[in-house]
Amino acid sequence: MKTRFSVTACAAWAACVPSAAQAHLVDTRLGDFYGGALHPLSGFEFILPWLALAILAALQGAKNGRWVFLIFPLGLMIGAELSAVVPDLTFVPLLNVIATASVGLLVALGMALPLPLFVLLSAVLALVGGYQNGQAMAVDTNHLLFIGGVTAIGYGFIALTSALMLAFLDGRGGWRPIALRAGGSWIAAVAIMVLGFELARVIHAG
Amino acid sequence: MDHSALFKRHGRSATTIATLVVLMSAGPAFAHTGGDVIFGFWSGFLHPITGLDHLVAMVAVGLWGAQLGNPAIWVLPITFPLVMALGGVLGISGVVIPYPEVVIAASAIALGLAVAFRITPPLWIAAVLVGVFAIFHGYAHGMELPGAADPVGFGVGFVTATGLLHLCGIAIGTLTRWPIGGRVVQACGAAIGCVGVFFLYSL
Repeated sequence: MKTRFSVTACAAWAACVPSAAQAHLVDTRLGDFYGGALHPLSGFEFILPWLALAILAALQGAKNGRWVFLIFPLGLMIGAELSAVVPDLTFVPLLNVIATASVGLLVALGMALPLPLFVLLSAVLALVGGYQNGQAMAVDTNHLLFIGGVTAIGYGFIALTSALMLAFLDGRGGWRPIALRAGGSWIAAVAIMVLGFELARVIHAG
Repeated sequence: MDHSALFKRHGRSATTIATLVVLMSAGPAFAHTGGDVIFGFWSGFLHPITGLDHLVAMVAVGLWGAQLGNPAIWVLPITFPLVMALGGVLGISGVVIPYPEVVIAASAIALGLAVAFRITPPLWIAAVLVGVFAIFHGYAHGMELPGAADPVGFGVGFVTATGLLHLCGIAIGTLTRWPIGGRVVQACGAAIGCVGVFFLYSL
């Protein structure tokens, strides 16, 4: 009886516990690349400014907007490495929120910017985004792989999203730019509230 | 079968097996589980939807924008979240605004009546009226934000929900293209006004 009870319990456990079998154990080789690629997707504070920038790039048109394909990944790389060289820049999260609110407002206004200003905004958002994601690197993290992951996902996201938005704008109907501008106002609204939250926290801490 | 006797006899082996199960079924620990982000988003998303006073007022903004036509149909929904964010900042920072619940109920009444009677003021008057109400709605949401699991997720959730409610209002408002549809939209406005009266009376 005792044996049968034990065997039944073991069988029940064996039936209930197993998880999915992994054919490719990424942790053993390229784990840090995937860590870098997935980190920007772990919070709205990383992905929201990228979305705003992609919409802004589409609103600039293909000729000016395509500069973001060069500036953005470069900025992400430099920003992520900067986080290892100069860690603990406390103003970066606040700068990220201010930049997001600014880009969101520019999208809401539907403004076509002078190219240097657009490039500057892209560079700031990329550097800040790279820096914030780079802060997730630990001592034993392979920087090259992690930064490669962040840069790859950043490039993929900005390229695909801005191209999608541009194609969306090319369609029929005057409501399309309005829909994108409404999206910009939503992003700006979120960023303004988070800015208020961060400032209130700083004031209360002080 | 005497189950209590069975469990007593095999108590030790069952405990051993249970311990093994607990030890062997442990999963990996993740720094970012995503749980806070999802909870933050959902609590923010549900905040305007589960509050009927917020819900009807947001739909009324869309309905009124659709009735007023271009450019109000897009000016009101674009400016509302931005002004609402300023109200949210007031709520976050702990500034005390008097009678927020009264004004939120009054917003449903005023916007509902505007839709029911097809009131068509100049755009700036409509924008100022909606903007004042947006401050109070944002204030109510903003007070909840610091306690959220993920403040950014909460903000994204409630702004998205608010925008979608405007969109619902605009979608219903497109019925004004047809005479009978116009009456339906006016009836929706009257119903929204009644909901506002109910909330005002309940305070």
